[in-house]
Amino acid sequence: MPLTYKNIEPLIITEKNSFSKWLGYFGLGIGVLLLLVSIQMFVNIQQLLQENNPRKSGGYDFISISKTITNANMGKDNTFTTSDLAALKNQPTIQGVAPLISNKFRVRATAGDIIPFSTDLFLESIDNNFIDTVPPTFTWQPGQMVVPIIFSSDFLEMYNVFAPAQGLPQLSPKTISSVNIILECSGPYGTQNFKGNIVALSDRINSLLVPKSFMNWSNYRFMQDTSVHASRVYIKTKDANDPKLISYLEQQNYHLNKEKIKFSRIKSILQNIVSALGVFGIFVIVLALMLFSFYLQLMIAKSKDNLRLLLTLGYSPDWLAKSVAKTWLPVYLSIIVGALILTEILHLLFMQLSFVNTANLSFVLNWSVWLTAIFLFGLTLFINLNLVKKELKTIL
Amino acid sequence: MMRIELRNVTPDYIEKEKWDASQIWEKTITINKGEHLHIVAPSGSGKTSLIHFIYGLRKDYSGSVYYDNTDIKNLSVESFSVFRQNKISIIFQDLRLFENQTVKENIEIKRILDPYHKPEAITEMAKKLGIEKKLNQLAKKCSYGEQQRIAIIRALMQPFDFLLLDEPYSHLDDENRKKAMELIYEECEKRNAAMVFADLKALDFLKDERIVYL
Repeated sequence: MPLTYKNIEPLIITEKNSFSKWLGYFGLGIGVLLLLVSIQMFVNIQQLLQENNPRKSGGYDFISISKTITNANMGKDNTFTTSDLAALKNQPTIQGVAPLISNKFRVRATAGDIIPFSTDLFLESIDNNFIDTVPPTFTWQPGQMVVPIIFSSDFLEMYNVFAPAQGLPQLSPKTISSVNIILECSGPYGTQNFKGNIVALSDRINSLLVPKSFMNWSNYRFMQDTSVHASRVYIKTKDANDPKLISYLEQQNYHLNKEKIKFSRIKSILQNIVSALGVFGIFVIVLALMLFSFYLQLMIAKSKDNLRLLLTLGYSPDWLAKSVAKTWLPVYLSIIVGALILTEILHLLFMQLSFVNTANLSFVLNWSVWLTAIFLFGLTLFINLNLVKKELKTIL
Repeated sequence: MMRIELRNVTPDYIEKEKWDASQIWEKTITINKGEHLHIVAPSGSGKTSLIHFIYGLRKDYSGSVYYDNTDIKNLSVESFSVFRQNKISIIFQDLRLFENQTVKENIEIKRILDPYHKPEAITEMAKKLGIEKKLNQLAKKCSYGEQQRIAIIRALMQPFDFLLLDEPYSHLDDENRKKAMELIYEECEKRNAAMVFADLKALDFLKDERIVYL
């Protein structure tokens, strides 16, 4: 017979059907499955909700706040002062602040021949890095007669609702850029017409945004006033649901549109649930490995005399340890592969759910799931080998 | 491996007065490859301890045991396993068989480590020692004399430069002792190996041996 572990296995594994062994296998299987599924679901939720969330970019939430209007402060100046803005900037939960600067002069807009429509408008401007869609054409210099405008998607939607009743044509996001808008800007210091050109739609900011350079120039040109009195401020934060942030805003009597961060709240709750599931999975894996190590210790204790004799006869302790540890390699591999298959099935079932947009998700499991599975496989083998080596040392 | 050297070896548990007359304890003894050394001593004088010191099973002694120029106290368990696979073999006084394995399996477990003989050699040697019909029997069902012969064949399955024998014939009659001794001589000659034989008294059928008293 050749020198293989199989030939000496009966001397080491004297008991084939140990309850603790099977319980260990079962626990390990459940734990690995829970962990892999929770990672995949975490990624799924992250991808699904991130795709549909215009407020979020680069891992930050951009939310608008304004001062709460009450009977007591109604009619007073409820704009943000310089010290209000400085206090906001100093909050550890806030990574950036940008006031929405509005026009102080009068703006009247007509849409030319295509849309027989004219109205007074308000324009606003904000730092470009707070806008979700900034095309390269969104710039303005004095002397330029065309003013680029970023139009709110919500406004376009509202327009399309009332347009048919008013006998106006409905517009698609693509055709809106071809609408010629004449902006008639006037104030005590003069009047001037500009051509407005819608260059992008914003899902984040409900306003008509013009470049900051145009706003500063025209406020001075028509009103000789460049002071900043913003009634709306956008803040950049890592987590719009941070209780510290919400508590601070409430203390300051700032109004935050909670409906706007509903997605984040749902996502946060769902991710907390799957995270808890993942932690539970890790806990079960640790328990299973502990149980399995007890079985291993018991097994080695039972075959102590045989192992000692094998070592006395010249069997290498390293070879014995590796051979004993390798016995469970197919078992661990089956558990990990089985858990991966079940995770894939659950992932495919998740994709069948009606609210899931499959275009955002891959049919293949996320790389982090594969990496975790490989890591767990390596970890179990490492623990096994070291445990067997340690036990063998005790009997030498 | 060319030689084993004992330098001032004394077991920790023996009082100084008891080793004054010894030719081994606290002396320097060299055993060269190909040599036959016969250690003679009464029961309880430390024969088994000495064999175990040489084989590296125990370290409760002062002085040093050298395999060539290596003090075996410095050898790792892993290094010992290499020596035990193809440099040094042993027949234990307490035999140390796997009782729930068959006779053949007991011998094969040693042979497969570093096969010096083909598997057929097991049957041939078993025939020579009169246990060929016991090959498929569990070791625990064999008599002590048969078990001694199993242990002898097992020790001869590997390559070795030194063979340690600790009262290997205690339960064999004269005829079987001679057969076993002939087989051991034959196998040692094939390898030009040294034999370190520990027993209660000098045996008349040993040849070319150096006798030392413990």
